[in-house]
Amino acid sequence: MNRKNFLGTTAALIGGVTIPFKKSFAEGENEKIIYRKPAYLKAGDVVGITAPAGPITPEEIQPAIQVMKSWGYEIQVGDTIGKKDFNLGGTDDERLNDFQKLLDDPKVKAIMCARGGYGSIRIVDRINWTKFRSKPKWIIGFSDITVLHCHIHSNFHTASIHSKMINSFPDNWNTAEPIQIETIISIQDALSGRKMKYSAELNAQNKFGTAEGILVGGNLKTIETLSGTASDIKTEGKILFIEDTGEYLYSIDRMFWNLKRTGKLKNLKGLIIGGFKVKPDDPGEEFGKTVEEIVLEKIKNYKYPVCFNFPVGHQKNNFALKCGVKHRLSVKENEATLIEMI
Amino acid sequence: MKAIIPPYLEKGDTIGIVAPAGFMPIEKMQTCIETLDSWGYNIRLGETTHSNSQNYFSAPDEQRLNDLQQMLDDRNVKAVLCARGGYGTGRIIDQINFKKFRKHPKWVIGFSDITVLHSHIFSNYKIASLHAPMAAAFNDGEFNNPYILSLKDAIEGKPSHYECAPHSFNKNGEVKGQLVGGNLSLVAHLIGTDSDLKTKDKILFLEDVGEYLYNVDRLLLQLKRSGKFDKLAGLIIGGFTDNKDTERPFGKSVYDIIYEQVNDFDFPVCYGFPVSHEKENYALKIGAKYKLAVNNEVSVLQEI
Repeated sequence: MNRKNFLGTTAALIGGVTIPFKKSFAEGENEKIIYRKPAYLKAGDVVGITAPAGPITPEEIQPAIQVMKSWGYEIQVGDTIGKKDFNLGGTDDERLNDFQKLLDDPKVKAIMCARGGYGSIRIVDRINWTKFRSKPKWIIGFSDITVLHCHIHSNFHTASIHSKMINSFPDNWNTAEPIQIETIISIQDALSGRKMKYSAELNAQNKFGTAEGILVGGNLKTIETLSGTASDIKTEGKILFIEDTGEYLYSIDRMFWNLKRTGKLKNLKGLIIGGFKVKPDDPGEEFGKTVEEIVLEKIKNYKYPVCFNFPVGHQKNNFALKCGVKHRLSVKENEATLIEMI
Repeated sequence: MKAIIPPYLEKGDTIGIVAPAGFMPIEKMQTCIETLDSWGYNIRLGETTHSNSQNYFSAPDEQRLNDLQQMLDDRNVKAVLCARGGYGTGRIIDQINFKKFRKHPKWVIGFSDITVLHSHIFSNYKIASLHAPMAAAFNDGEFNNPYILSLKDAIEGKPSHYECAPHSFNKNGEVKGQLVGGNLSLVAHLIGTDSDLKTKDKILFLEDVGEYLYNVDRLLLQLKRSGKFDKLAGLIIGGFTDNKDTERPFGKSVYDIIYEQVNDFDFPVCYGFPVSHEKENYALKIGAKYKLAVNNEVSVLQEI
């Protein structure tokens, strides 16, 4: 039976009750969305560097420039590098103009954000996406950059790269820890179009199962503050990944309630929990639940697989993830993997 | 739509006290209990006010829910005063059965985390509730201050008339509308949920405590971007106290931050209104109709 006709009949049968119909219809519409991928980078392509959130100095970007040049890319340093307006990498106008310039420059094939912090939300509504939409390019970053990932994904269905940024490149490549090298190399893998494959350390709280879906996600606090806005994350039918740092357990609990109560956990295909560096409870204010317990109680009625300990977050093992790209999540007793699909 | 105003209290009526969120030792509620008693009310203490909880919450979710549910359902209880906020109301809000409460509305009193209850009740059932001082505010000899007394007046049904000094950021004007609001973090947190605050044609008041300055900026941007300011009648900015800052300073005061986000709108704005986590915290009837008048001499919020 044709799915849409079937739903139409159901809606007709239940008469005035239109909400289930509308919801199902929206789901049907989602299936028709065409997700786009910017062109992968080749040797000689240009990567732009800009600071849409916190500030960075010209010295701090040198290690990243060296490494990315060794990958064969040219680097275009944005005007915000070296700028500082208190805790922002320049005034709103300066950060907006720099980002816009790199976004509109056809030579620039990818934009790597210098660092997170705070500030992307202050400019996102003023960015003109016209040229980006006709010729998408990779936007790279995480944490505060979750604003851009969510905005781009929800509005333009275009893939972007959730990964370490300029400020995470090791000062000395030769003495860096293997995990630092591996995670930085994962950015190159993502940018050059290699199929991504990840494996998470096993966690006894994992929920088993396999799922296929578009990968979306990012920083939990940032996702919460996008709720109800034009950049709100759309999670239906997708694999959602979440990470955060420096939050109290009660605050993590409250944010997961927000995800639940705004319907973002209901129709997931799978859930990936990355790093959660928890702020210790104040004495006498012990919350009494672990992050795993906080997550699992919200989704106890849902059947999709859940993978804890995923290597994404404010931590050394933070691998590049392609948001807006279809992946397969497989959580079993002896392995938990995420694989980019063809 | 006009809000349903629960019946005001008469001497001899019973006020129930519960702790739907954080734990509070009963000793710290003593002055509040004695004061309510001296006002002529009977007190019923819910089990969450004297639990032996060893963690953050006053009791496990189920007990907090049952305690609040019983107070909401018991027709002999004419008002439910929340002993304190903290965190936890959001964990039980979707399980509360408001059936009896809707039939026989009563005053729900509190602020901070209780913003969840206020917002949920007004958005879904159009029943007025009281954003007002809770048990701790009665302590340290404050049981007779104007803010505590404003709670007494409010539950007795005396229409409120509050004044506050002008502020250089104020935007003058005079508007009428239903009053909504509460704690900024929670108002933002509820966006997109079943408890979401509707602000069209309303007078919105906001206060917060202990937030990072950058986060106040982000929360206001969320309100702005989700359209909360688009058709607002008026805005009241209360106390934003004990703010935290990042290692690199944000570089603006909290009122600078608010001013920057709301000044382009046309509605009148009153800064420095006595609604806050400090002593200055007038009882405000969420859902009731008020007139807000802001001019160069004084700002007046008056129930009409």
